Amino acid sequence: MSDEHDHHGHEHSPAPETQDAGSQALAEALRSSFAIVKIVMALMVVAFFCSGFFQVGPSEKAIILRFGRPVGAGQKALLNSGLHWSFPYPVDEVVRIPITEIQKVTSNNGWYFTTPEQELSGEEIPAGPSLNPAIDGYVITADRNIIHTSATLYYHIEDPIRYVFDFASASNTVQNALDNALLYTAAHFKVDDALYTDVAGFQEAVKQRVGDLTDQEQLGIVIDNCEIQNIPPRQLSDVFAQVTTSRENRNTAINYAKSAANKILLDSGAQAATIVNEAESTRTRYVASIDADAKRFSDLLPKFDSNPNLFVQQTLLPAMSEVLTNVQDKMFLPVHADGKPAELRLMLNREPPEPKPAANP
Amino acid sequence: MKRNILTVIVGAVLVVIFALLLFVFQVRRSETAVVTTFGKPARDITEPGAYFKWPWPIQKVYKYDQRVQNFEDKFSENFTGDNIILLSSVYVGWRISDAGQFLRKFPGDTTVSIPNAQGKLESMLRSAKNAVVGRHTLSEFVNADPKQLRFDAIENEIKQTVQGELSTNDWGVSLEFLGFKKIGLPESVTQTVFDRMKSERQQYISKYQSEGDAESQKIRSAAERQAAETVAKAQADATRIRAEGELEAASTFKVFQQNPELENYLLRIEAIKQSLNKQTIMIFDERTPPFDLFSHLPTNSPGNNP
Repeated sequence: MSDEHDHHGHEHSPAPETQDAGSQALAEALRSSFAIVKIVMALMVVAFFCSGFFQVGPSEKAIILRFGRPVGAGQKALLNSGLHWSFPYPVDEVVRIPITEIQKVTSNNGWYFTTPEQELSGEEIPAGPSLNPAIDGYVITADRNIIHTSATLYYHIEDPIRYVFDFASASNTVQNALDNALLYTAAHFKVDDALYTDVAGFQEAVKQRVGDLTDQEQLGIVIDNCEIQNIPPRQLSDVFAQVTTSRENRNTAINYAKSAANKILLDSGAQAATIVNEAESTRTRYVASIDADAKRFSDLLPKFDSNPNLFVQQTLLPAMSEVLTNVQDKMFLPVHADGKPAELRLMLNREPPEPKPAANP
Repeated sequence: MKRNILTVIVGAVLVVIFALLLFVFQVRRSETAVVTTFGKPARDITEPGAYFKWPWPIQKVYKYDQRVQNFEDKFSENFTGDNIILLSSVYVGWRISDAGQFLRKFPGDTTVSIPNAQGKLESMLRSAKNAVVGRHTLSEFVNADPKQLRFDAIENEIKQTVQGELSTNDWGVSLEFLGFKKIGLPESVTQTVFDRMKSERQQYISKYQSEGDAESQKIRSAAERQAAETVAKAQADATRIRAEGELEAASTFKVFQQNPELENYLLRIEAIKQSLNKQTIMIFDERTPPFDLFSHLPTNSPGNNP
C-alpha cells in the first residue's frame, strides 16, 4: 500500500525530500478519507439497525414476520399503537393492518348503468325500454319483478391475522358476499315488501346474510351496519308512483269516511239525547201541570161546592174580560126592540200577505 | 496483525451473507412453496419460516400465494329446468392447497400458471353451472315461500360439483366458497317483465281506487245505520218516558173526580182563554155575559122598559 512515487515537486530540489512531502500528503489524504469512510460505514450500520424502528398508528395494528413467520401466536402477534423495533429486512418484515377503522364496501351490481361523471353531475341517461344485462344491474324479487338495489356495508376487522394472511383480497370477498346477499334477499322478498312495506326487514336480511356468509368463510370481520336503497325500475317509476298515490287516496278516502262516520254517530247521539231529554221534560212538565191543576182544583172545590152559581159568576167574568182585552175587534149587536135578530153581513179577508223585501220584486 | 483480523471477519460475514442468499429462502405466512430438484418437485413447504435449499441449478423454489383468491366467471346464459333463459355469474374463493401438485399440473412461473388454472376453473364452473341450473326451475331461484326457495341448495350443488371435479382431477386447488354474484334475464325478457309489472301495478291502482270507494261507503252506511238505531231507540225511550208521565199523572186524576162539573167548567174557561187570542174578531149581543148588563140598564127607552 505504499505507492510513494509522485510527480509533485517543489522548492526542495532532490528526490527523497520531494517524495517524502508528496507521500506524506497522500498518506494524510488517504488516512482522512479512510476515517470518513469508517464513520460513514459506522453510521450506515447504525442506520441499518435504526431502520428497524417503526411506528404503529392509533387505528392500526402491526405484525412482525420473522423469516416469514409471525412473531408470537394468535392475538399476541398483534402490536398495538406506539413505537416498535424489528430486525431490518430480510430478517423481519412489518405488516400493518387497519383495525379500528370502519371499512366500507358498496355494491352497485343491482343498479342501472351510470358513469361516475353522471353521478357527480346528477344527470342520468334516460331509461330505454329494456335493461341490457351487460351493463344494467338489477335483482329479481320473489314475485319475479325487477327492481334496482344498491347497498353499502360497514364492517371492522376482528381477526386481522386471518383477514390479511388468509385472503388475497378480503374486501373483494366481502363485496362478493354483499352482492350475493342482495340477490338472496331479493329472491325472498315480494316487490312491494322490498320497496315499501318492509324495507327495514330487507335491510336486516341483507345484513344477516352477509354476516352468515362471512362467518362461513371465516373472514374475521364484524358487520357494523348496512344501508340499502331499493327503487322500482325507472321505466316504470310513473306507474309505481301512481300506485302509491292511489293507495294514499284510498287511505284518505277511508279516513275521511271514518271522520264523517264519527260525526254522524256523534250527531245521532246528540239527537237521541235531545229526544230523551225533551221527553223527560215533557213528562215533568205534564206531571207538574196536572199536579198544579189538581192543586188548584182542590183549592177551588170548597168554594164551588158552597155556591156553584156565585163561583161561576166570580170566575167567568174575569176570564171574559181578560179574553176581551186581548181580542182585536169587538162588535156589539144590540137586540132589536121587536126582538127580531139583527142581520149581519161579514166580508172576511184573508190575512194580509207579508210585505216582500224591496230587493226581490 | 489487528487490521488483518478485522478484514477476515468482515470477509467472513460477507461470505456468510452470500451463502445465506444462495442456500436459504423464506416462506411468508401467506405463502406456500415447493422445492424442485432438477425440475422435479421434491419438497412441499406449507409452514412459514426460513428453509435451506441447494443453489440453482440444483434446486429451485416456486412460491405461491396460498391465500383465498377471488374469481368470478362471465355473466352467461343457461336454461333453467322450466326452459327459461337465466343469466348468472358466480364468484368463488379458491386457494392453492397443494403446491407440489399444483406445480405438476400447472408448470411454469406464477404469471403463467395462475391464469392458466383460473381458465380451467372457469370452464369447470361453466359446465357445473350449466348442469345445475338446468335441474332447477326459476321458482327455485326466486320465491316468497322459503320452503320452495332453493337458492342456497343450488349454490351448494354447483360448489359440490366443482369440488368433486377438482378432487378427481387433483389440481392441488381447493374451492373454499361459491355464490351467485349476479342473476339476470335476457334483455328482451326484461321488456315483457316490465309489461307484466305494469299491468300488475295498474291492477293495484284500480283495486285501491275501488277499495277506497267501497270501504268509505261501508263505513258511512254502517255509521248511518247505527245512528238511525240510536235515534229510534231514543224515540222509543221518549215514548216510554211520556207514557210513564201519563201513568204518573193518572193517579192525580182522581182528585178531579170529586167534582167533574167543576173540572169541566174550568177546562172550558181555559179553552176559551186559549182559543181567543189577538187575531180574533168577536161579535156578541147583550145576552152574552158580561154584556147582558147592557140589557138590564135602567133607561128611558120604551122598549127596554116593559
